[in-house]
Amino acid sequence: MNLLQKTTRLYLAATLLIMLLAGFTLFIVLKISVSDEMEEELMLQSDLVAESLTEGEMPHIPLTTITEMPPGAARAEAFGDTLVYDRVQHVSEDYHYYTVVKPVRGKLYRITVMDTYIGWNQYYTTILVIFLLMALLLGAAGAAINYLLTKTIWHPFFENLRSLQRFSVSSAEPLQLADAGINEFRELKGVLEDLTTRSRQEYNTLREFTENASHEIQTPLAIIRSKLDRMGQYPMSEEMSEHIVHAKLGVDRLTRMNKSLLLLAKLDNQLFEDKETVAFEEVVQEQVELMGELFAMKDISLAVERAPVKLKSNKYLCEVLVSNLLSNALRYTPEAGAVHVRLTPEAFVVANTGKPLEFPAERLFDRFKRSHAHPEATGLGLAIVFAICKVHAWKPAYLYKQGQHHFRAGFQ
Amino acid sequence: MKLLIIEDEAILLGEIESYMAEQGFLCEHAASYAAAEEKIALYQYDAVILDITLPDGNGLQLLQQLKRRHSEAGVLIVSAKDSLHDKLTGLNLGADDYITKPFHIEELNARINALIRRKSYYGNNVMLVDDDLQIDTTAKVASVKGQELTLTKKEYELLLYLVVNRRRMLSHQSIAEHLWGDNYDMTDNYNFVYLQIKNLRKKLTSATGHDYIKTVYGMGYKWAAP
Repeated sequence: MNLLQKTTRLYLAATLLIMLLAGFTLFIVLKISVSDEMEEELMLQSDLVAESLTEGEMPHIPLTTITEMPPGAARAEAFGDTLVYDRVQHVSEDYHYYTVVKPVRGKLYRITVMDTYIGWNQYYTTILVIFLLMALLLGAAGAAINYLLTKTIWHPFFENLRSLQRFSVSSAEPLQLADAGINEFRELKGVLEDLTTRSRQEYNTLREFTENASHEIQTPLAIIRSKLDRMGQYPMSEEMSEHIVHAKLGVDRLTRMNKSLLLLAKLDNQLFEDKETVAFEEVVQEQVELMGELFAMKDISLAVERAPVKLKSNKYLCEVLVSNLLSNALRYTPEAGAVHVRLTPEAFVVANTGKPLEFPAERLFDRFKRSHAHPEATGLGLAIVFAICKVHAWKPAYLYKQGQHHFRAGFQ
Repeated sequence: MKLLIIEDEAILLGEIESYMAEQGFLCEHAASYAAAEEKIALYQYDAVILDITLPDGNGLQLLQQLKRRHSEAGVLIVSAKDSLHDKLTGLNLGADDYITKPFHIEELNARINALIRRKSYYGNNVMLVDDDLQIDTTAKVASVKGQELTLTKKEYELLLYLVVNRRRMLSHQSIAEHLWGDNYDMTDNYNFVYLQIKNLRKKLTSATGHDYIKTVYGMGYKWAAP
């Protein structure tokens, strides 16, 4: 239930309740005052009847009965309701009566006078109908006003909400919110803009730091690598050579990891704006030619299906995407396994045989997520694939079926 | 061959210089933009190794100066940034090649050799490795006593890499990166290198009767002249 529905609902319920209460009160108040008037009138009428009797006349007034009472009868007076049959309309009608025992010239007479309620029941319904109608009209008016408010006053609010939904700290543009001209909304806008500006600044600082750190690390790595290569040139014991080999492996891993982190930082930074029309099938072909023999050496059968696909994209990133997916397949396909590469206008898919994942599939594209069996992998290859897809608005997906891992980059 | 090395990191500069000198280059170096500018103005070089991030200036401007002087020198850009943009800018400004730190010195040497070969149009594109073996770098073929060897593309590249760096033991990593680039992490699997070496060795041995490739146990391989 949204805010408007909620307020409208409450408003309608309150209107209905107030109308019912007001109608009921009106009915009671009317009834009391009408009854009072009638009783006054009936008492006056009975007095007039008594006066006539005093003058020795026996009045013949319709709906008035005069009865002579035996002496000693109780001198009581009472009001009451009764039904009188209306011969014209053929219905019984409500009448109010007043009966009183009065002494007139030494005799006791009971005088009963009556008057009709004049269709009291109809008042009842009339009041109810009028008030219900008012409630309905007020409700409709409320709903109409709310609708108009949504269209006008709430409009900027919803616009801003959509901008916020689209906003990401990594986006190139700062958050732009519309001014609603309402203090509360303006305050919210101010707070949000402040918040997002700060988040963006902090994110940018972090990103720049990552990029700078990666660059700064390259030169010391170059020194270590060249010195290790140099040390390897000297005659040495087997033990010593083992130490050097291990140190080199560490440097290699660090180099690759650093390179990958740098690429990820750049992808986050959206530094790859220069997109051109890339013949994706050629990229696939080049990478397959470069890596084909590596598959052959592991006795993995590599099947390639390519349809001509032209994509508006960054060529370098396309190469990285294809080579990362192929290296991933090369690494995780067991010997004598099979890799199937398929390029269609819809998607690029690399499928390889292998054991199921040992962690949840949704974590596959996470940074530094890798199989325990391959601790030497950087765990960044698929994270890069994911980031490249994001830059091009492609859809990365993973599926395991019939003993095969399917990695897919959906183009549409 | 005169080589100018422009690199602000002293240790790396020393390492490059000593290796290139071993390879028979006449090396000079400059550790700053100002020093490099002076050298470029005064002397002619066959090749320049240019680090584009210098403390007192941008190496790309040195490249522009070289071009303005109509220098014949082949230029290899060295950068800490694996940036396509820098690479394209550098190549557009007339650099011949681009290498990203950290690199293997042998790779640097192979690149310098390749760009010098490309620059020297007049003639000598045939490398005489020894009396028997020679490599024609234009046709990309190796031959033994005039008899052409049937090598795959990778085997040819491996042979050239070993020959160009013949005084040096080449590590598995260095060879793997040279042959397949550094996009693939093959730290875990040097079988690939081993298999390439095995095939090349077999072909060379059967053609010459001599084993040119020496295995340095656990470390890598080295070219061994008979």
